[in-house]
Amino acid sequence: MGALAAIVPLYLVGIVYYGGSPQTTDVGYAPVQPVPFSHALHAGDLGIDCRYCHNTVEIAADAAVPPTATCMNCHSMIATDSPKLLPVRESAASGLPVRWVRVHDLPDFVYFDHSAHVSRGVGCVSCHGRIDRMEVVYQAERLSMGWCLECHRHPEPHLRPPDAITDLDWTSAENPAVLGAGLREKNNINPSTDCSTCHR
Amino acid sequence: MPSLDQRDNSNAYWRSLSQLADTEEFRAFLESEFPAVADIEGVSRRRWLQLMGASLVLAGATGCRWEKEEIRPFVDRPANRTPGRTQRYATAIDLGGSAVGLSVTTVDGRPIKIEGNPKHPASLGATDATAQAAILEFYDPDRNQNVYRKTGAQRTVRSWDDFAEFARSHFGTLREKRGEGFRILARADSSPTLAAMRAKLLEAFPRAEWHQYEPICDDHQRAGTKAAIGMPCRPQFALDEARVIVGLDADLLGSHPAAVRYAGDFATGREVVDGQMNRLYVVESCLSITGASADHRLALRSEQIGAFVTALEYEVLDRVLPDEAKKLLWPSEPFGSSDPSHPAAQFVRALADDLFANRGRSVVAAGPRQPAAVHEAVHAINEALDNVGRTVTYTAEPDPQRPSHVAAIRSLAADLKAGKVRTLLILGGNPAYDAPADLALAELLEKAPPETTIHLSLHHNETSALCEWSLPQAHFLESWGDARAYDGTYSIIQPTIEPLYGGRSATEVLGLILPGDAPSARDAVRETFKQIVGEDGFERRWRDTLHDGLLHDSEWPLVTPSVDSLSKRTGSVELLHESTWTGGPVEIVFCRDASVHDGRFANSGWLQEMPDPITRLTWGNAAVMNPTTADKLGVEDQTLVKLILRGRKVEEMPAYVLPGQATGTVAVALGYGRTMAGQVGGSEADDVDAVGVDVYPLRTSDAMDFAPGLVIKPTGKKFPLATTQDHFAIDTVGLKQRAARVPTLVREATLEHYREHPDFAQHAVHHPPLESLWTEHESPGYRWGMVIDLSKCTGCGACVVACQAENNVPIVGKEQVLRGREMHWLRVDRYFKGHPVDPQAVQVVCQPLPCQQCELAPCEQVCPVAATVHSEEGLNDQVYNRCVGTRYCANNCPYKVRRFNYFNYHKNLADPANEVTKMAYNPEVTIRSRGVMEKCTYCVQRIQAAKIEAKNDGETVKDGAIKTACQQVCPTGAIVFGDLANRKSAVAQTIEAQNGRNYAMLGELNVKPRTTYLAKIRNPNPALEKKGVQ
Repeated sequence: MGALAAIVPLYLVGIVYYGGSPQTTDVGYAPVQPVPFSHALHAGDLGIDCRYCHNTVEIAADAAVPPTATCMNCHSMIATDSPKLLPVRESAASGLPVRWVRVHDLPDFVYFDHSAHVSRGVGCVSCHGRIDRMEVVYQAERLSMGWCLECHRHPEPHLRPPDAITDLDWTSAENPAVLGAGLREKNNINPSTDCSTCHR
Repeated sequence: MPSLDQRDNSNAYWRSLSQLADTEEFRAFLESEFPAVADIEGVSRRRWLQLMGASLVLAGATGCRWEKEEIRPFVDRPANRTPGRTQRYATAIDLGGSAVGLSVTTVDGRPIKIEGNPKHPASLGATDATAQAAILEFYDPDRNQNVYRKTGAQRTVRSWDDFAEFARSHFGTLREKRGEGFRILARADSSPTLAAMRAKLLEAFPRAEWHQYEPICDDHQRAGTKAAIGMPCRPQFALDEARVIVGLDADLLGSHPAAVRYAGDFATGREVVDGQMNRLYVVESCLSITGASADHRLALRSEQIGAFVTALEYEVLDRVLPDEAKKLLWPSEPFGSSDPSHPAAQFVRALADDLFANRGRSVVAAGPRQPAAVHEAVHAINEALDNVGRTVTYTAEPDPQRPSHVAAIRSLAADLKAGKVRTLLILGGNPAYDAPADLALAELLEKAPPETTIHLSLHHNETSALCEWSLPQAHFLESWGDARAYDGTYSIIQPTIEPLYGGRSATEVLGLILPGDAPSARDAVRETFKQIVGEDGFERRWRDTLHDGLLHDSEWPLVTPSVDSLSKRTGSVELLHESTWTGGPVEIVFCRDASVHDGRFANSGWLQEMPDPITRLTWGNAAVMNPTTADKLGVEDQTLVKLILRGRKVEEMPAYVLPGQATGTVAVALGYGRTMAGQVGGSEADDVDAVGVDVYPLRTSDAMDFAPGLVIKPTGKKFPLATTQDHFAIDTVGLKQRAARVPTLVREATLEHYREHPDFAQHAVHHPPLESLWTEHESPGYRWGMVIDLSKCTGCGACVVACQAENNVPIVGKEQVLRGREMHWLRVDRYFKGHPVDPQAVQVVCQPLPCQQCELAPCEQVCPVAATVHSEEGLNDQVYNRCVGTRYCANNCPYKVRRFNYFNYHKNLADPANEVTKMAYNPEVTIRSRGVMEKCTYCVQRIQAAKIEAKNDGETVKDGAIKTACQQVCPTGAIVFGDLANRKSAVAQTIEAQNGRNYAMLGELNVKPRTTYLAKIRNPNPALEKKGVQ
């Protein structure tokens, strides 16, 4: 009886803790998109650089989802009658946007800035995972505050040379910790853990 | 109220008379440690919901995973557009015929913030509070959204096409009759394009008449300069070069059309250079912000100011002219056998001496309330002092032939009465509400309207309701137009967004009325621009002007006046001497209101909630009188009185006792008591009580500014006014010690004292060496800090509204303000000094008070959840998402700068109307919910944006790259922000240069505030000081 009284609350706390954690609720979230766009095909097989479409990533907080016109750059000539692309062609013809579903969604009181991270040498893969292998994009990481702070406190393992930012397959030739420490020193990377860095 | 006379308060500071008299109310407010907490019950629920509905409301994504969020990218993104990044567009705002250049910040295609245009001469980068609030006005859900046509009592929604069709046939027929019976009533507008359209209209309809009416206007200045110079002119002052400035019922720093510029110029002259600074004299009836900034202020009834000017003119000429010439000019000595020790006589002599000593380097200005004769005399004084051509120049008034505004509305009313008007087109404005009462315009429009009445208006207001056609007007943020500043500088008004509610501008409406195809507003403006700059390089100049926000060197040329200064002078100063009012009827003075202007901004929650710079009143107006007047009339503060002026009545109006008002005068602010303003300002149809009391029923066309003979009858009924002056009082040791302690909060000295003791500000408080109980924080990188110069601050309140706009600060409404729950992150404390019953002796100090960002912050020590913590750069970060609302931090804050959300002021009512209003929010600042503490963060969103951008480029933040919202808007540059660690930054340089004046408020508490102050320096005239006249 005594043992049960001790275990039940522990069990409940454990269930709530695990069940409610971002690891459980958020990681793996893969909503259905209006267009079955395959990153595995475009970024993986075709090797299109992330910035071809997400071209504001280096200068703005948002890595903007590309306008329909970007799709049509190629698809006015390639796969012009693919039924999968119907919503894109409709958008181009009607002037109404394609209504994509947000995958990586931070709370509104969090102000994340892509340009600040990309220009410091944090690669896309650190937060988004192997997008180039995803048929359907899903959330690869927790994107929780604790997860952010891990890197803000110890950024070294996530730093890479600027030319490898969008290379999802990149691995360091030397010891990543040593390289990271060197890059941190060289580029004066001092991520802040002040609350106002992300919350305003 | 206990008698004020028994106290010797000649040098003590106080915030309000209730504090000084130690009334129950003030004690109750102070003694409940956190008065805002008490008594949550009793909110009028209905009013509450009304405000909620009208205030800005944020809908949308809460960031939960299970709430699906969509991304809708452009189909074809414009070349220079980056989603989420702000863009700036230069434009201009026109108020009453004078424009101020603006720079509008837009994000994702919607305007969210307005700043001044640094290149524009009327702005110099700053704005006033009304320009700040234009954003809220733009998104106001109460704006006119449809074309309406009224047939009988029935009002039906129509379309612009319906109106265009009607206009084609109606005005086609009218044109055949050469416009017989066609009248247009418009507001003052500086737009050259509109003027061109007007010329075309009068050409197409030769018998039509164009009337221009503004309830608050410069009629007297036009008439006075015409009499003095031969043509209506605008005096232009170089306040930065003037050593002595005299305002005669003139609010140069507050309500003057060029006030933003003038406040900046005044502040420049306020800097002590080589031991010298300018000196400001103000003679006025109502305490204005200019009067509050004055070194010497003489409170006279408005009707006495003419006599004062006569006396001043005589005294000045006495010093300038040889005796013979003087005798010719002035056959009899105006002072006669008057008492030379009379305060006004002393004042005028000392002033004349000072002006004479500063010939060619002084400015004498008359205010718009004063009659033409005063303006004429003021010109003669400036001429005699050699100021004309130096510190005072003149430019010609545009449209010199037009009759005065009063004459225009009078003749329109006469024509309406005579049945001569068949078609009345009203472009903007609200004449049914703000026309002189004796013309009974509303009654005429209601009982015997012309066959066709058309009203173009931003809001469906009192006038629209009486008109057959009600057309939605386009806001200046969504339409093409042009404007000229007070000095004539030409600006293009460019839209920042498509019209929200399908509104059209006056130019476009005239286009529908004129024969032929209506040009687009843009084409019409380009056509005007072509007239101004010519064909040569047109496209380049058009682009440059759009980009810069002004056409360089387009100010009006100066007029060289030739004055016949030897004409005989007459005038009596009798009134000045028989000045003692001993009871009976008083003088009523109609004032422009700092919040609602003439009533047009009545539906702006930001402006309604902005405390008036002097009275600190929010949400309403009052009959303002000084303690002596109130005493004699038997009126108590915040009770209702009845006003009777020559048979015209206002049944009930709250009285407000304010020191500094001239004895025997009552000031009433125009623009309140609107019945069709909207959900905020009052709407009969929606059962929303009017805010304040309408005093236009007392204002007649023969007395638009002031009038004697006002009878005041007290009713004895209490009426609480939402004044903020006793709120958030910094009370360290209780009431008794307050008077003694305030000088440590606001430190000031005379110039003379400052010269002898340049470090006086640092010796106001003596304390043992300070040792910290806590480990001090280190700031290895940036050290953000702010310094506020009390010598420059005029207390205008622009910073309060700018902060509200930048930081999504909610509007709380009158009931909540009465409880001390206003949410302004930045407040302006206004202290009085001097004996309260002597209006001549009252001095004012204003002190803006944002969060002081203490290095050893008391708030941080008591937060149980670490929701307020110190950042490495020295900010007291407030983490809304962590706050649980214990309010310990606010209780422990010695400066009382923390604000608590007692309600969810941004509650989403799931109302489709809010789809538009939520667009006004700054997306870079979190919306705070109920139960959360909030406060100033030095605009941390701006700091972060600048830091990220600098580091992306591998640089550090340059000095000046970050401006806080309050700093950016400040017309006088009183607020300087920057990196204290950088010794070359403006803030560090200011502190170093003004080291003696620099002090930390409550520094003795060892909280080490990052915001510090520069003590105020006054420059009194020794001649007046010695004689005991201040």
